[in-house]
Amino acid sequence: MTYVLSATQTSSRLGAVIRIPPGVILAFAIIALVIGWSIAPGLFTGFDPAVGVPAQKLLGPSLDHWFGTDHLGRDLYARVVHGTASSVSSAFIAVAIGLFAGGLIGLAAGFLGGWTDIVLARLVDILLAIPRFLLAVIIVTALGFHTLNAAVATGIWEVAVFARVMRAEVIKTRQATFVEAAFLAGGSRWHILLRHVLPNASRSVLPLAVLHFGLSILVIAGLAFLGYGDPPPASDWGLLIATGKNYLKWPWLVYAPALVTIATVLSVNRISRWLRKTD
Amino acid sequence: MRHAYLSFAGKRLAQAAVVILLAYVFTFIVVSILPGDPVTNVLRNPQNGFSEEEIQSIIAAQGLDRPVLVQLWSSLSSFLTGDLGLSLRSSRPVTTMIAEVLPSTLTLATSALTVALTLAVLIAYGTQFLPKRWGQGLLRGFPSLFLSVPSFVIGLVLIHVFGFKLGLFRVIEPDSAWATFFAAVALGIPVSARIAEVLIANLDQEARQEYAAVARSRGLGQAALFFRHLVKPSLLPVVTVVALSFGELLGDSLITEAVFGRNGVGSLVQRSVATQDLPVLQAVVSLAAAVFVLVNLLADLVYPLLDPRVTLIGPARQSPTKAVETAAPGAAA
Repeated sequence: MTYVLSATQTSSRLGAVIRIPPGVILAFAIIALVIGWSIAPGLFTGFDPAVGVPAQKLLGPSLDHWFGTDHLGRDLYARVVHGTASSVSSAFIAVAIGLFAGGLIGLAAGFLGGWTDIVLARLVDILLAIPRFLLAVIIVTALGFHTLNAAVATGIWEVAVFARVMRAEVIKTRQATFVEAAFLAGGSRWHILLRHVLPNASRSVLPLAVLHFGLSILVIAGLAFLGYGDPPPASDWGLLIATGKNYLKWPWLVYAPALVTIATVLSVNRISRWLRKTD
Repeated sequence: MRHAYLSFAGKRLAQAAVVILLAYVFTFIVVSILPGDPVTNVLRNPQNGFSEEEIQSIIAAQGLDRPVLVQLWSSLSSFLTGDLGLSLRSSRPVTTMIAEVLPSTLTLATSALTVALTLAVLIAYGTQFLPKRWGQGLLRGFPSLFLSVPSFVIGLVLIHVFGFKLGLFRVIEPDSAWATFFAAVALGIPVSARIAEVLIANLDQEARQEYAAVARSRGLGQAALFFRHLVKPSLLPVVTVVALSFGELLGDSLITEAVFGRNGVGSLVQRSVATQDLPVLQAVVSLAAAVFVLVNLLADLVYPLLDPRVTLIGPARQSPTKAVETAAPGAAA
């Protein structure tokens, strides 16, 4: 039972433009740290992720080894940090594929209409009809088990999502009066497409891209967990968790990489929600 | 109205049939570009120990010596008559192989859906009526948190806490009641987040309506208001979300079955991926697509009957699911 006066609502909306909620600042900080890990892992840990000290295997978290050590005596924190680049960049690739291919398809379908729309819409329907994870699994099987291929496999489903949203946005913008006016003023199709339709349509696509970045991290971690990513010397987060599940007596081997994954995805989702609200 | 519904239903039915067929073709194309030649990889693999005559007879039986388009045509037509072909490895009918593992996956999926619905309604109820100082805001963050946790992590945590620490179930007995329950929880939690998101948004909207204020002023208690008035209109759009989440249930059961060591359709897929058993992969993926499309068709067809406010006058874009589908991945907030 909340009674909010409309006056306070507008003033708080004006304030939100300047004020960033503390949760969002924390989310940005976590993402900055993760980006730091993936660009320069050496700055954040002195341990080698691939070389272990057998005498120090399966140690619990301590000041020396923040996340403990694994069954070969390798520092888990170092493995998580060094695995960040491939876990995060593959999600980035997946979203980039979805954004560009899906954006183009949606733009073409929405702007051209007619047969183009019908054919492209069916293509999107097919992609959405196949359960997402199953689609990723058969595509990564077809391409071969590498993290990069897992990224492509994840991105193909994203194409359908972005195409569908982009199409809806383009159709909405096309019906706007100012677009009609631009046509009447003699603007060419390309000019109107690039100058008016695309910028307006892409505004709602940005928060979606951020949201799907988080989802892609989860899907790629799932593929890595099943062993469809790079093989073991690599230390993708999903792969670390998969290795850790064989050593559940030493639970930090699961919990540490899992918490890093969750914190990252949670931050990404928080930022996406904030972007959508401020828009 | 009646005429409008029939033409809407006819259109959706035809659309669904086309999508199922095209999904089959799409899967066929993806599966047939698998690296290497399945004949060399599987049949001539010395591990399998096929003799040359056996290889020739399998190639002839599977029709692998014919052009790809002919193969596609014959496999598509047998798919339509319900024949899913033979496994490349064991030469057993794929239909039998799927039928063997299907009950396990169906049990898992239906229990997961039950868990997801229960959890979503509980969370949504809490966000409406839990006092603010008792963590209403915290509860509102739950769907977002659930969507950020990989389902295999939930599974591993459940195994660690309830299996290892509390000893409620043993990992080597994946079909025991407790093991099935926790597998369903692991699979159901991310799904519950999607349902809860939509449910909370709808409840917020309904609670602001005048009829809710009237009911409160009549002195109706919170639970009565919730169950007698608010739930019904809020649950209607959930039909669509549940139908859409079938894709997630089918796909993620692959991971959950791997985590809990269950023998289901997911583990069949994993085995077929490892051995490049193309007919099995083709069958499972296109069946999953067919199930997903049919469930969503059903939801679309039932929706206008459930909700008298939905009208079907106008162009096809009035289809009630379109808006939700576009906004499905968490955009409902």
